[in-house]
Amino acid sequence: MNIWRSIFLLAVLPMLAPAQDSDPTRPLPRNQFRNGEAVLRAFAPLSKATRDSIIKLNVDGETVALGVVVDTNGLALTKASELKKGKLTCWLASEKEVPVEKLAADDEEDLALVRVHATGLKPIRWSDERVTIGQWAITPGIAATPHAIGVISAMPRKIRGRQAFIGVRFEPTGSTRIDGLLPGMGAEKAGIKSGDIIIGIENEVVTNREQVATRVRDLRDGQKVKLRVQRGEEQFDADVQLMVPDPDEPRFGFFRQSLGRLGTDVSHRAEGFEQALEHDTVLPPWLCGGPLVNLDGKAMGLNIARASRVTTYALPSTLVQRILEALKAKAAGAPVSSI
Amino acid sequence: MSRLRGTLMNPGARVFLVAWVIFALISVRTTFAGETTAPAQTKSSKAGAKGEIGLWTVPPRPTPVSRKDLPAAFSKPAPTSVADLKSIEQRVKDLIPKISPAVVAVEIGHGSGSGVIITSDGLVLTAGHVCGAPDREVLFRFSDGSQARGKSLGRDEDTDTGLLLITNRGPWPHAELGDLELAGTGDWVLALGHPGGYDSTRSLVVRLGRIIRVGADALQTDCTISPGDSGGPLFDMQGRVIGIHTAIRSSLTENFHVPITEFYDGWDTLVRTGAKTEPTFAPRAFLGATFVDAVTGCRIATVDSGSPAAKSGLKAGDVVLRVDGRELSAVLFRRFIAESEPGETLKFDVKRGQRELSLTVKLDSAPRLK
Repeated sequence: MNIWRSIFLLAVLPMLAPAQDSDPTRPLPRNQFRNGEAVLRAFAPLSKATRDSIIKLNVDGETVALGVVVDTNGLALTKASELKKGKLTCWLASEKEVPVEKLAADDEEDLALVRVHATGLKPIRWSDERVTIGQWAITPGIAATPHAIGVISAMPRKIRGRQAFIGVRFEPTGSTRIDGLLPGMGAEKAGIKSGDIIIGIENEVVTNREQVATRVRDLRDGQKVKLRVQRGEEQFDADVQLMVPDPDEPRFGFFRQSLGRLGTDVSHRAEGFEQALEHDTVLPPWLCGGPLVNLDGKAMGLNIARASRVTTYALPSTLVQRILEALKAKAAGAPVSSI
Repeated sequence: MSRLRGTLMNPGARVFLVAWVIFALISVRTTFAGETTAPAQTKSSKAGAKGEIGLWTVPPRPTPVSRKDLPAAFSKPAPTSVADLKSIEQRVKDLIPKISPAVVAVEIGHGSGSGVIITSDGLVLTAGHVCGAPDREVLFRFSDGSQARGKSLGRDEDTDTGLLLITNRGPWPHAELGDLELAGTGDWVLALGHPGGYDSTRSLVVRLGRIIRVGADALQTDCTISPGDSGGPLFDMQGRVIGIHTAIRSSLTENFHVPITEFYDGWDTLVRTGAKTEPTFAPRAFLGATFVDAVTGCRIATVDSGSPAAKSGLKAGDVVLRVDGRELSAVLFRRFIAESEPGETLKFDVKRGQRELSLTVKLDSAPRLK
């Protein structure tokens, strides 16, 4: 009896299975993707709690950034470099469009203080708690559900400015013999050739690649460095200007920067921040400038840049609040304390 | 939720498997001045010798684990409340410290990628295109800044699976392997790795997403991954490795991972080069210098501070004429050092400028990890 039942089941199961899993390769419905509507809907209470603290900024009618309201008189912060010249207005959660005035900016951290000519705005509540890797990072806007969500990906850290280079490649042994030059960069312009050996930088002797890298690493775009170069029996000095290569330059491995941006637009200003939280939210550059909130509806920071396919940066709340005070003083015409 | 048990992808799916190889996720390290790449202090392994991988066992194929301990939020098509979001967040925050220590950045030649350690004696899963040919030297970097050395064991280009071995002595933190028996679309997953290559100022990078498609030979998620992530692990919400990052396409939701089952089916291919003999893990002789060919013998390019080379008085720029009376090219010199024993004393005849010197070098063992 049992045997017969087993055979019966074996025969039936293959017919039943396709009925349950009609197409096993069928993908997840789009609205259930991490950034799909069904998932975003669960975050609606957070949007409701913050939408009156957010503005959507337009220049000549085109959305350029979000902004975060910081007091009851209409002061707000946003990403400075997105405020192009033109007529500045913003949309509010109430669906009104109101004029906006730019008051002051901090170019170092790319923040601008603006005044929104409207009433009924609520200041954002800042969170001063430590962030944890893996916690939700929500980017609400003025709508009922957030624009996008993600998680904190990496601990807060300083984000260096874009690396400037002298434009040489060394042979792979670790020595300072040059075996390639990046076209159009400083080294080539200074007359350095493949086969030359760098023996000194700014009157200091160097013998390996790492010493050169260490000396050059802290220099910025446009600065010059004096290299002592050996070519055969001859030695000479060369003043080489550091330059930032075109990120799309396919030679010598720079292509990784463009591959790293595959599928995403990045912010024009996406590097050089004193401190930033890294999160994996997929956010278009024109939706930076607003708050990054946690599940308590408090702002952990301000989204400052879309940096790569996997990276969005937010300035941490403590840094934002510090710069806010300096910007208020600047706007009031008071001397600005060091920030 | 659609489930799959060993089902082959349809022919259309096969096509995309081929198409996205062009976006393979390896990150190329450059050697430009100003780049933060540490020069690989290359010490040749005992070249080509077989049977020195040592005795190790591949973890057994895991049995499916019940998902009953997962909070209810994980079995919904989508979270429906802030309470659901809180329980997802709590699970993720609890998992990360447990799974992170086993994730490494790997540097092989000019490439860099990621990997995950799966046994205490240092077997590391990675992508085939990160691993490359067997017997290549590998530098492993941990999130805490420590390093280990090892080699590539083998790869399979069709599945893009690769296997590496840490040759420094363990035990190593390792991740639990998972299965895809109960995996389905909509499962929440974590992708870990080093996008853009290892960055000493940044921690490991964590991304959360959902399974969009799962098959026997393809796994797609909306965890955004990027060059440098290749070979890094995809974890399920029980903290088990269910995939290895392999490729992306231009859409942000087209991130592909080698299903872990491809490894179970292919261990033999991956370890073909390693005979399972006695464990060796013998400490290797260490000089602490790099060298390039010179007209006669070879020239010291760099000397590590504090290394046996530095202690003996060897300096960068010295031309090594003879070692123990033998004239050696750079290649032979590397092999000579690699085949020497720690503690052995070698006599170096070097030329420094116009002077000829004779120096005695006592080899040490390769630096241990902290």
